Amino acid sequence: MIHAEELTRRFGDRTAVDALTLDAREGEILGLLGPNGAGKTTTVRMLACLLAPTSGRASVAGHDIREAAPQVRGSVGILTESPGFYKRLTLERNLRFFAELYGVPAPREAVQRYLKRLGLWERRAEAVATLSKGLRQRLALARALVHEPKVLFLDEPTSGLDPESARDVRQFIGELASERRTVLLCTHNLAEAEELCARIAVLRTRLLALDRPDELKRRMSGSRVAIGLRNPRSEFATALGLPFVRTAELVHDGLSVEVADPERDVPALVRRLVELGAEIRSVARDERTLEDVYLELVGGDDGAA
Amino acid sequence: MGRLRVLVAKEWEELRKIKMVLYGALFLPLLMGGLAGFMVWQGQGLPPEAQAALFNTALMYFLILPVMIPVTLAVYSIVGEKEQGTLEPLLATPLTDWEIFVGKALVAVLPAIGLTWAVFGLFLAAAHIILDGIPPGVLTLPWLLSIFVLSPLLAVFGVLVSMLISSRTSDPRAAYQFSGLAVVPTLIPLIVYSVQLTAVNFLLVILEGGILVLLDGLFLYLAVKLFRREEILTRWK
Ligand SMILES: Nc1ncnc2c1ncn2[C@@H]1O[C@H](COP(=O)(O)OP(=O)(O)O)[C@@H](O)[C@H]1O
Ligand SMILES: [Mg+2]
Repeated sequence: MIHAEELTRRFGDRTAVDALTLDAREGEILGLLGPNGAGKTTTVRMLACLLAPTSGRASVAGHDIREAAPQVRGSVGILTESPGFYKRLTLERNLRFFAELYGVPAPREAVQRYLKRLGLWERRAEAVATLSKGLRQRLALARALVHEPKVLFLDEPTSGLDPESARDVRQFIGELASERRTVLLCTHNLAEAEELCARIAVLRTRLLALDRPDELKRRMSGSRVAIGLRNPRSEFATALGLPFVRTAELVHDGLSVEVADPERDVPALVRRLVELGAEIRSVARDERTLEDVYLELVGGDDGAA
Repeated sequence: MGRLRVLVAKEWEELRKIKMVLYGALFLPLLMGGLAGFMVWQGQGLPPEAQAALFNTALMYFLILPVMIPVTLAVYSIVGEKEQGTLEPLLATPLTDWEIFVGKALVAVLPAIGLTWAVFGLFLAAAHIILDGIPPGVLTLPWLLSIFVLSPLLAVFGVLVSMLISSRTSDPRAAYQFSGLAVVPTLIPLIVYSVQLTAVNFLLVILEGGILVLLDGLFLYLAVKLFRREEILTRWK
């Protein structure tokens, strides 16, 4: 549904997005996670045919973004970073305007359907100026959906919302995937990405990783084992003498040991510790949070962000 | 419904909701029309040549109107989108760059021409009653050309200038003020006319028409270049 290859965008001599290659399948919510300035908005703008890429290619909903921009625009919905409305016009009128521009066959009915779905029907005749930020964001979701796009771009849909509105919006996004829509969700909120996204692309100008949230965690943390000891002593760490142990250090009530392959190595490690006189209370895989993984990925080398 | 019609309908509804823009666009034609009528009213009982001179001066108001009326409309239709943050959602729709530009221009040009002609019609009717008929030698071909050819060209000129300026600033007041400069070209023939009073000759009208066509063409070229998605998104302030 979304297919990008080596997509690059430069502004003058600053590179905003560098050779981004990614795929989103039909019905998938793909997270685009990265700090401010990572190039998320620029990526979305390129994929929605608002900005031309400097190089690279992409197709969205089956249309090439360079060759078939009007078709791409017609088949994607976008929730922009700061979605504005004609604040003097009513909710209903705002939505109808966009529905008509997208050539929706029965605009009034479509508008009604989405105003109801997002709980805004009662307020349809009010000017948008009267809406709270949370409700405005819901209206923006309605606008992104009113022409039934197959592909949706949501650029930081919950940023700046109060927790309750943010939860509503997240819940709604969750429902979208079950409608076979493909969603590219930009966010710098890890919990949100982990909760909603089938896969997460970590972006910081370049693509740093692209995988399922649990895979990302496993791959990054994988080989660490936490051993709880009743008698923690530093010689346990230094005297292990096992070939597969990469690092071992004493933490406050035990050891943190990095091994080559936990599946294979943990039994031998435990046996060795018992030989050394350790009284083991617990053995656990050292699961890291997505946040640790993310910070390690993004907190990288050049400090460009 | 065509996308262009959809855009123009929205613009129009929005403009009607803004009292300042609406009254601003109506105030000027009424004021100018009133002034022109007053001038003719002063000619009651004067000899026909004096009446004709007054009448000619009055007619000049109808060259300022088409430039002045659309300024507020054009400025708002651009600055309003910027202020409200609606440009990006608008650009994400299948509207073409050209449709956006033409829609925004039309919503200012059409009322300007319509109002100018409407007030002009009212003025003629009033003059007819006040003076018991239009003085001879007034509504000559050059004058009619001025009203029916120069006015639309002037309206287009006013709109293009306003749109170019509005794309460069998000402060409506600054945009209104600078766009007011669009009236300058109309002052030149105005000065010529008022120095020579009845000498509204064919040559002058053709000359000004030619200059306006050139200026309109130049500004149209610039405006179309400015009204490209990428440009709007990355360069407009
Ligand atoms: N119109 C523009 N002109 C110049 N630089 C830009 C423009 N838009 C974005 N950038 C730069 O591109 C980089 C990525 O920005 P952006 O895509 O907005 O990141 P994000 O959405 O992840 O915060 C930033 O360094 C930003 O300054
Ligand atoms: Mg952004």
